[in-house]
This record gives sequence, structure tokens and C-alpha cells, in this order.
Amino acid sequence: MSIIAALGIGFCFGWLLQKTGLARYDRVVNVFRFRDFAVLKLLLTALVVGAIGVQASLALGLTHSVPVPATFFAGNFIGGLFFGAGMALSGFCPGTIAAGIGEGRLDYLIPGSLGLVAGALAFGTLYRRLFPILARSVYAGATISQWCGVDPWLIVVLLAEFAAIIGYVVERRPPRQG
Amino acid sequence: MSGRRNTICAAAIIVVGFAAAGYVAARECGAGVFSNQVSGAYRLSEWSPYVSGAMLGVVVTVSMAAFGRRLSGSGAYQELAGPLGRALFPSSVYWTQVIRPTEHWNSVVLLGAIAGASIAALLGGRFRIRWLPDSQWADAFGPTIGKRWLIAFIGAALTALGAGIAGGCTASLAVSGGAALSPGAFAFMAGMFTAGIPTAWLIYRNHSR
Repeated sequence: MSIIAALGIGFCFGWLLQKTGLARYDRVVNVFRFRDFAVLKLLLTALVVGAIGVQASLALGLTHSVPVPATFFAGNFIGGLFFGAGMALSGFCPGTIAAGIGEGRLDYLIPGSLGLVAGALAFGTLYRRLFPILARSVYAGATISQWCGVDPWLIVVLLAEFAAIIGYVVERRPPRQG
Repeated sequence: MSGRRNTICAAAIIVVGFAAAGYVAARECGAGVFSNQVSGAYRLSEWSPYVSGAMLGVVVTVSMAAFGRRLSGSGAYQELAGPLGRALFPSSVYWTQVIRPTEHWNSVVLLGAIAGASIAALLGGRFRIRWLPDSQWADAFGPTIGKRWLIAFIGAALTALGAGIAGGCTASLAVSGGAALSPGAFAFMAGMFTAGIPTAWLIYRNHSR
């Protein structure tokens, strides 16, 4: 049963990334050049709808808890730096690489996949040295709402507003030509 | 809730969501209300990022709430690196306890993602075996396959290393973590753009397009 569930979730994930054109090098790189905001639009819409969905599931008692990734600010930020540099160089991330493979892209399938495995191995090797340093900036609570001591729905509304403002700004701004 | 019920409920949510998203995607392209717009949407070559984003939010919700898993791209490659890591470093805590040998969920998600993208690309007429990205790459780096493959490898290794340090990737930290209101998700996104923007600028500083 769990194999079918994982396949189904993956199927939708790959489908949506491919349909949005995120299997293309230029689409991913151009978000960092302020010329194509599809990545940002997809990311923010998914984040807001996901936040509403997660809070609704918790409020309706469909689930008692959801997996919240650990916050260790220095690690999250520094990891993000490596990640962003890699994404701007290669034009993919570990999710969109699957979409690219599905589209028939051999540069995603062969050097891309090998590179991801190599990077994962490199982190695994460094883990024992890095972890104690990263763990210093750990945040003991789980969520922003706990951090601020407010109702999670207020944070969801705030997020939705920020996403709407960013969406409005990027839609108003015509893509830069030349 | 039982696993079986969760799966059936999740399947229903995803089917209804996809039908709705397909309908909206078709309407955006101007298909008539009474034509075969919904089936047509699945053959469209491209969907609006807002439609896809809303659907991805539903998929993330189902994954998190019904199955207790973050949607992940990088997790699969950590699992795939596992056997190699355990062979090279048999006593490593990381490869035996952090990346557990019995854990395959993310790898199955990756397989599903490749299948989903293939079918989407085939239906949309975008499937083609290719060695290089489209024209923008060649404008910046030239049409050499070796150069692209080397940079794809280096870039991929950097993203996987970054995902390890950060504790997730765009899907598992930025989107899933953000949806769960994790502060780290926003620190990660800040880092991603802080490094991505200057990297892209360095590559394209002498290009007009």
C-alpha cells in the first residue's frame, strides 16, 4: 500500500513540475536573473496552499502531527547558499531533475544523478564534523507560530499576504528584455 | 486512521484536484466550457504555475498529513547513496542511522516522479531524448556536451551537499517545511536566492539575453 501511495505522490509531483516547464534549464536559471518567475510562482502558491492544507488537516483532526523539518538557522542558510549556487549552475534541483529525466534529458539522467549521489556521499562523509557545528544554531521549537507564540492560522494568513504581494509585483513587472 | 483508508482518501483528493486543475488550465487557454476541455488540459504543453502550484500544495498536504512524509527530491538521492556510503564507511553513524537502510519511500517517490513527468511530456508533445539543454545554455556556455555534463555534475553535487547541510531541498524544506511553518524553510530560501542571484549574474554578465 505504501508503495502505491509513494508512487502516486511522486507521479503527481513529476507531472506538475514537467507541466510547469521546470524540467528546462532556462526556466530554473532565469528566476535568479529576474526574467522568468515561474519557479517563484509555483513555490509560493504551493507553500501557501500546503500551509492551509496542513493547518486544516490538523484542525479537522485528520492527523495529529505533521513532520516539521528541524530549524538550525546557520545550517539552513549555509546549505541554501550551496543549493542556490548549484541550482544556478546546473539549472535543476533534486526534484526537477526527475522531471527532466522524464522528459528525456540525458544531462539530467547521467551527470545530474551521479552528481547528486556524489554530493550526498560528500555530506555523509562530512556529517560527523559538520553536525556539531550546525547543531549550535538549532532552534528548539518547531514552527514560526510557536516561535512567535501566536495561532498558526495568523501565520498562514500572513504568508498568503506576502505571497500575494510578491505575485502582484512579479506580474506587474514585465520580464526584462536585453 | 488506517493506512488503507488514508490511501483511498488521498487518491480521491488527488483525482478531484487534478480534474479541477485541468479544467482551470484549459479555461486559461480559452477552451470552451462545453468542449472536451478537461481531457484537453492533459495534452496542453504547459500549465500556469499558479494552477500547478495549487495542485502541488494539495500533493504536499496529502503527503504530510496522510502519510507523515515531507515531499522530497533530495531524499531519494540520499537513499540511493546509502549502499555506497555503507560500503565505504561501514561504521558511519550517518549511513547506518540517519539514512536508514530500510527506508525507500523517497526513492519510490522519485520513480513515480520520473513516470509522471514522462507521461506529462509524452501527452504534451515535449518528450525527446536530448544531450543538452535548450538554446540559452549554448548561448552562454557553447554547444559542447562535455562542458554541460561537467557543470551539471558539479551543480548537482553542490545542490546535494547543500540539501544535506540545510536538511532538505526545494520540495522537502522550502515547500513542505514552509507549509508546516518551519522557520528553517525561510532561512533556506533566503540562502538559495542569496547565492543563486550572484551565481547567475556571474555566468550571464556578458550576455544580453
